[in-house]
Amino acid sequence: MGRVPYWNINQGVLIDLLSIPALAIFAYGLFCHWQRIRQGKARVSLGLTLTAMKIGPIYICSFLMKGIVGTRIYKKLFTGIAHGLLLWGMVILGIGTCLVILNVLFGLPVFSGEFNRWFMGCALDAAGVAALAGVLFHLIRRLFPPERLTCFRANSGFILIETVIIAIIVTGFLVEGLRIAQNGPDPGSFAGNWLAPLLTSAGSLSSLHRYLWWVHGLMVLSLIAYLPYSPLVHLVLAPINAGLDLPVPGPKMGVINFEAFEGEGDEVPALGISKVSDMSWKNLLDISTCLRCGRCHEVCPAAQTGKSLSPKNIMITLGDYFQENKPGDDTLLDAVSIDTIYSCTTCAACMEACPVSINQPNAILGMRQHLLMERSEIPDIMGQAHRSLEARHHPFVGTGFGPNDWRKGLDVPIFEQGKTEYLLWIGCSVAYEERTQNIGRAMVNILKAAGVSFGILEENRCTGDPAKQMGNEFLFSEIAGENIEEFKSLGVTSIITLCPHCYNSFTSHYPLLGGTFTVIPHAVFLRNLITAGTIRLKNNGESVCYHDPCYLGRHNNILSDPRDVVSSVGQLVEMKRHGSESFCCGAGGGNYWTEEAGTRINQTRAKEALETGAATIATACPFCMLMLTDGLKKFTEDQMVKDIAELVYSQMET
Amino acid sequence: MHIVVLAKVVPDYEVPSADFELVGNRAHPRYTRMIGLYDENAVELGVQLKEKHAAELTIVSYGQSEDVQFLRKALAMGADKLVLVEGNADDPFVIAANLKEAIAKLGEVDLILAGRQSSDMDRGVVPGLLAGMLDFPFIPQACAAESLADGWKVSQLTDTGKRVMKVCGAGLLSITSIPENVPRIPAVKAIFGAKKKPVEKLAEIGAKKMTVAEISVKIPKMESVCELIPAEDMEEAARVLLKRLKEERYL
Repeated sequence: MGRVPYWNINQGVLIDLLSIPALAIFAYGLFCHWQRIRQGKARVSLGLTLTAMKIGPIYICSFLMKGIVGTRIYKKLFTGIAHGLLLWGMVILGIGTCLVILNVLFGLPVFSGEFNRWFMGCALDAAGVAALAGVLFHLIRRLFPPERLTCFRANSGFILIETVIIAIIVTGFLVEGLRIAQNGPDPGSFAGNWLAPLLTSAGSLSSLHRYLWWVHGLMVLSLIAYLPYSPLVHLVLAPINAGLDLPVPGPKMGVINFEAFEGEGDEVPALGISKVSDMSWKNLLDISTCLRCGRCHEVCPAAQTGKSLSPKNIMITLGDYFQENKPGDDTLLDAVSIDTIYSCTTCAACMEACPVSINQPNAILGMRQHLLMERSEIPDIMGQAHRSLEARHHPFVGTGFGPNDWRKGLDVPIFEQGKTEYLLWIGCSVAYEERTQNIGRAMVNILKAAGVSFGILEENRCTGDPAKQMGNEFLFSEIAGENIEEFKSLGVTSIITLCPHCYNSFTSHYPLLGGTFTVIPHAVFLRNLITAGTIRLKNNGESVCYHDPCYLGRHNNILSDPRDVVSSVGQLVEMKRHGSESFCCGAGGGNYWTEEAGTRINQTRAKEALETGAATIATACPFCMLMLTDGLKKFTEDQMVKDIAELVYSQMET
Repeated sequence: MHIVVLAKVVPDYEVPSADFELVGNRAHPRYTRMIGLYDENAVELGVQLKEKHAAELTIVSYGQSEDVQFLRKALAMGADKLVLVEGNADDPFVIAANLKEAIAKLGEVDLILAGRQSSDMDRGVVPGLLAGMLDFPFIPQACAAESLADGWKVSQLTDTGKRVMKVCGAGLLSITSIPENVPRIPAVKAIFGAKKKPVEKLAEIGAKKMTVAEISVKIPKMESVCELIPAEDMEEAARVLLKRLKEERYL
């Protein structure tokens, strides 16, 4: 005889009826979330034509991979597996339960034949065991938590949920076992069949079965109703957040069009974020989705070196203001603190680590914009760099060099309209520091040797990117506007950059201000020259470890080209944290000009590089070079840091 | 209450010495122009006083017509209007006489602030001359001012400390920098607002020149002489270093 659903249960259909209010409460909870999130402002447009497949506003690939499969969560393997077992175990059990309901309502024949044995019996039991193992892992870890879970504030809501899930699974198995103890073994139900004989001594099997069946069912319905009001709402919000996340790397700041406010009587609106009501709906969705898992805290260069900033804590503070419904409360910035807001290196490691696709730097930079553009508040040293950028169009305050000193004694062609193919953009960081000037010189020598048609601007300047990262969109748009005008008047179409910050600025932000150019970072250009055989290199086999600049790697996914360059002159070795999980040098977000609290980020990173035992530390960013060179001084007197252009030039066969 | 701040637009005062170049005894025109270093401190103090006493704040400058774009920063910081006397003299008498003329047109003025010295000529004589011409008391090296019922309480920074003085009636202070008068970064709204603030340009008046003639201007050449001391044996290296420092009379 096949299994009889609702066996031994009177009025079992009550459970089905009760599921209607439970689902209604569930739906109302989600509706409340939606209503509150939709109050956010529109997202800043990135002006990009994205080719990624989408349905409505949802990007399918991101939705499926980051949202449904949850690829990010497996970066912590054990947690990932436990989470996977729990999630997919519960999903399969949920499908099983739905099939039972379909059987009761419409007589769907699920309790017969092989399907009964392999799915309704075996697979569901396996799913229950898997989910139980997964949830036990989670509960035990909650009881003996790593620091990332407890720092600032733990998400206490999970312990209750995990206990309830355990109770649901255990009662589920007991109900199955008690039924089998009275009706005889089920095909395929290995767990129930194993449990049944152990339960035969349990007194009145029939009433116990009845009792536990109701307890099990009511707990499931309660959990469903409670879901949107608990951290479990991430089951819904995390995939949505992943799907709505624009599939481009980096904090996606866009630009502010100040020309729109130039007209008579046009008021400049409030700039940046000073209160919850200034945030975009995506910021609010981020805040609602955050589970306080602290993975961002673990990878944040500021948080890991004793600064007051932790992306997790930012999300907690923003969450408090959002939950307590304080949309217009502008004590928010003081609650987060100015030092905290300026400690962010905008490295985007938090975004990379976040399993639920939160864009933390976007909120942080939004707050910065308000501090600088509305309140004129900025830490002293960064303020000096900012003032220099404003007055001199470069942030290297107190530099001992003029804009052209880097090319003294070197014949460098000037860009000529209609004649020169590539503009070699020098930028500020190569021109105004002694150590980095050599990068420009090396690149010029390589390009000359390769016979590339290139030229520089007569007076080199900054892209304006430091102003943007410090929060001054206005100054950025002014400087960028001037640059774009000059490029256009010179007929510049292709630009080679030496600094990833310049590259990112040209590709992510200049197009929004009307300047679209073909921009090639020197890492890619060098790789192309090498691959095409235009330049030939000696490989001396020496070990070289490569430090990924955040704005080349995480912000622009250029990871393999610089490695190819390194591999053609030496033996590439990797640091523990590399590629898209690289650790920032500490200079990003204007923090090259700062007095660091706590341990210095560049020393932490330099030590990591040193520990690889490599003879040379290569990088592809002048800021990284300056930071690592400085950080290394604590450990060695050797000048080990080289830009890839210097490495290539030193190994060129003439 | 009406406060006037004198501000001068100068070539970048932080051009590294190795990159500094003269044309006709003045900085090469290729350098970026900006409001002088101490003038910005004076503007900041002026804005603070304006905010405290709801005063009217006017920037008065002597310079070229193109300087207005840089002087707008002072308007963005909080000044109400700008008066520029167009001229290109370097003579302190001429500058002071022109500033006096412009200030006279403003009506009653309660306080005049100036940077302690311009960041190009670095003479620091114009404020004193102007005070003389206006018959105002003059306090150089001032760093802070407070309004009193019948005048001003002024702090003067000396090499060894701080002196607090009382000025009866109007006065002219030349301002030095302290952390409290670091120029603010203008908010974006204020930058936009500054574009709509009034700018008045005055023609230069002829004035008697100072009977001082400039004979020459020279930039000292920066030279670095490097001597390497072998450091295989640290003790020996220290001994050599000490000996050399004594020989060169650094110690």
